[in-house]
Amino acid sequence: MNPSAAQANSVMIAARDVQKWYPNGFHALRGCDLQVHKGEVVVVMGPSGSGKSTFIRTFNALEDFQKGSITVDGIALSNDLRNIDAIRREVGMVFQQFNLFPHLTVLDNLTLAPVMVRKRPKGEVQRQAMALLQRVGIAEQAEKYPGQLSGGQQQRVAIARALCMEPRILLFDEPTSALDPEMVREVLDVMRNLANDDITMVVVTHEVKFAEQVADRVVLMADGEVVEEAAPDVFFNRPTHERTRRFLDQIL
Amino acid sequence: MKPLLRRLRRELFATPGDALLSVGLIALLGSALVGFLRWALLQAEWAVIQANSTLFAVGRYPIDQQWRLWLLTTLLLGAAGLSWGMLRAHPRSDREGILWPRNDRLAVSLLVLIALWLPWFLKLQPGIQARWWALVAMLIGLRWLAGRFGRQLPSKLKRAIPLLWPTVYLLGMVLISGGLGIVKVPPSEWGGLLLTLLAASFAILLCFPLGVLLALGRRSELPLLRWASVVYIEFIRGAPLITLLFLGQNILGFLLPNGLAPERIWRAAWVLTFFAAAYLAEAVRSGLAAVPTGQVEAARSLGLSYPQALQHIVLPQALRVALPAMVGQFISLLQDTTLLSLIGLLELLGVARTVMANPAYLGKNAEVYLTLAVLFWCCCAALGLGSRALERRLDPQTIPSR
Repeated sequence: MNPSAAQANSVMIAARDVQKWYPNGFHALRGCDLQVHKGEVVVVMGPSGSGKSTFIRTFNALEDFQKGSITVDGIALSNDLRNIDAIRREVGMVFQQFNLFPHLTVLDNLTLAPVMVRKRPKGEVQRQAMALLQRVGIAEQAEKYPGQLSGGQQQRVAIARALCMEPRILLFDEPTSALDPEMVREVLDVMRNLANDDITMVVVTHEVKFAEQVADRVVLMADGEVVEEAAPDVFFNRPTHERTRRFLDQIL
Repeated sequence: MKPLLRRLRRELFATPGDALLSVGLIALLGSALVGFLRWALLQAEWAVIQANSTLFAVGRYPIDQQWRLWLLTTLLLGAAGLSWGMLRAHPRSDREGILWPRNDRLAVSLLVLIALWLPWFLKLQPGIQARWWALVAMLIGLRWLAGRFGRQLPSKLKRAIPLLWPTVYLLGMVLISGGLGIVKVPPSEWGGLLLTLLAASFAILLCFPLGVLLALGRRSELPLLRWASVVYIEFIRGAPLITLLFLGQNILGFLLPNGLAPERIWRAAWVLTFFAAAYLAEAVRSGLAAVPTGQVEAARSLGLSYPQALQHIVLPQALRVALPAMVGQFISLLQDTTLLSLIGLLELLGVARTVMANPAYLGKNAEVYLTLAVLFWCCCAALGLGSRALERRLDPQTIPSR
C-alpha cells in the first residue's frame, strides 16, 4: 500500500464545501471544509451563532445540508436512510443538555442502544456498561435515575452511554456549557482520558485550557465559515487571521 | 387532640367574620345531611332496587345462562386479587419515602364492610349472598397469598401475571356472547351494568391505540397523514356524541366491513371508540409536545430507528405526562355510555328508565337515580385511583424497595 492511500484510509471525517440554509433562508454554513484523521482530537471554537454546533451536527445527520459532501468513516452521507443509520452507529454524540433518558435507570440508558441496535445479548452489554461506568467513576449510581444525579454525573453517564455503542468517532457539542463551574473539571478529565485512546473526537467547546492541552488541531469558525485551522500552540500564540486574534482577545 | 383544636381555630375561626361564615356553613351542610339521611333511611323505599337488582346488573340476560357471568366475575376477581397481591409484594417508595400502595389495609376493610352490607341491603337470596361472600373471600385470600409468596415466584411466572387481564377479557367476551360450544346470547339481551362496562371497556381499550396513532399522525412530517388526522379529529370533536350515535346506527353498516358491526350494540361501541379516540389524540399530543426534541436526537444519534425511538424513548415519557388527561377522557367515556339509552339500548340508564316506567314503582325516581349515581361514582373512583397509583408507579423518582 502506498503512503498516500494509507493516509486516505485514515481520514475519518471528510467535509467538503458544506453549505446549509435554514428554511427561513438564513445561510448557516457557507462552504465549510474539514478533515479529521483517525485518533485525532479536533476542537472547534468560535463565537455563538458561528455555526459550529450546526456543522458538527451534520456529521451524524442530525442537521441536513444542501450543498457539498460529507464522508464519515468511508460512508458518504446522503439522503439514503440506510447510510444515515450506518453512520449513526459509528458516531457517538454528547450533548450540551446531556439528553439522558429520564425514565430509564443509568444502566438502562447505557444498554438500550447496544441491545436494540446491535442486537447484542443483554448480560454481556450490562457487564460492558458497568465497566464503562467504572471508567467514568459512577459505577455506584448504576441503578439510579438521571434526575437523581448532578449535572456533572449526568454528563459522564452521557459519555459512557455514547461509548457503550463502541463508536469510532465521538462528537461533543459544548459538553460543559450547561454545567455548574465546579463540575466542569470532572467531565473534562473524562474527556482527557478518552483522548489518550485511539478514538476520534470532535469537540465544540469554549474551554481554552482543554484545547491547549488535548487538541491535535483547533478550528475557528465564524459566520458559518472555517476561518482558521492550526495546531493549538500556533492557534493560541501565532494565529494567522485577524478574526482569530479578535476572538482570542475577547475570550482570553 | 390539641393540635387539631388549634388547627380548627386557625382555619375556621380566625376572625369573627370567619367564625360566622363557618358556623353558618356547618349548619347548612349539617341540615342537608340530616335531611338526606332521614330520606334515605326512613322515607325512601328501596324495594325498587331490591326487586330489580338482577336487571340493573345484567339486564335481560337469560337466567339459565347466568352461570357464565358468575364464572367471568370469579375470573376477574381472581385476576384482581393476584395483581393486587403482586403489587403488595413489590412495593415502591417515592420521594416522601411512603410505601406504595398506600392505605392498603383500609381498602381491604372497606371492601369487607361493603361485601357484608350490600347483600343484606339488596335482600339477595341466601344462595347468591353466599356466592358474593365466597368471591370476596377469594379476592382477599389471593391478595394475601400473592402478597405473602409473590416474591418467591420465578420471574417468568411473574411476568405472565399482567397477561391474565387480556386473557380474561377475551375469555369474558366469549362467555358473554357465547359461541365455541356454548349457547349464543344475542347482544340484544345484554343490559345493565354488564352492558355499560362492556361498552366502556371496549371503547377504552380500542380508542387508546387509535388515539396514539392519530396524535402521531397529527405531528407527522407527511402532509397527507397530518391533514387526514387533523380533519378526523376536528370533525369528531365538532359533532355532539349523540348525533354521531344516531348517525352510527344508520350509516356504520356501510362504513365497516360486513360482520364487524352487525349489532346495534357493536355499532354504538364503535362510535364511542371513534369519538373517544379524537379526544384521546389531543391528550396524547400534549404529552408528545412535553418530550424535549433532545430526547429524539439522543436516541437517533445512538442509532435507534424512528419507530424504536418512539417506542422506547418518546411514548413512555409522553404517555406518562398525558396519563391524567387520558384518564379524564376514560372517565367521561364511561359516563357517555348513558347516551346509549337514547338510542334504545338497555345499559344502566336504559334499565333505570324501564324500571321507572313500571307502574309498580311510580314516583321512585330518586332511589333509582341515586343508585345509578353511586354505581357510576364507584366505577369512576376506581379508574381515578388506578390512574393515580399508576402515575406514582411510573414516576422515575419511585424506586422499587429492595
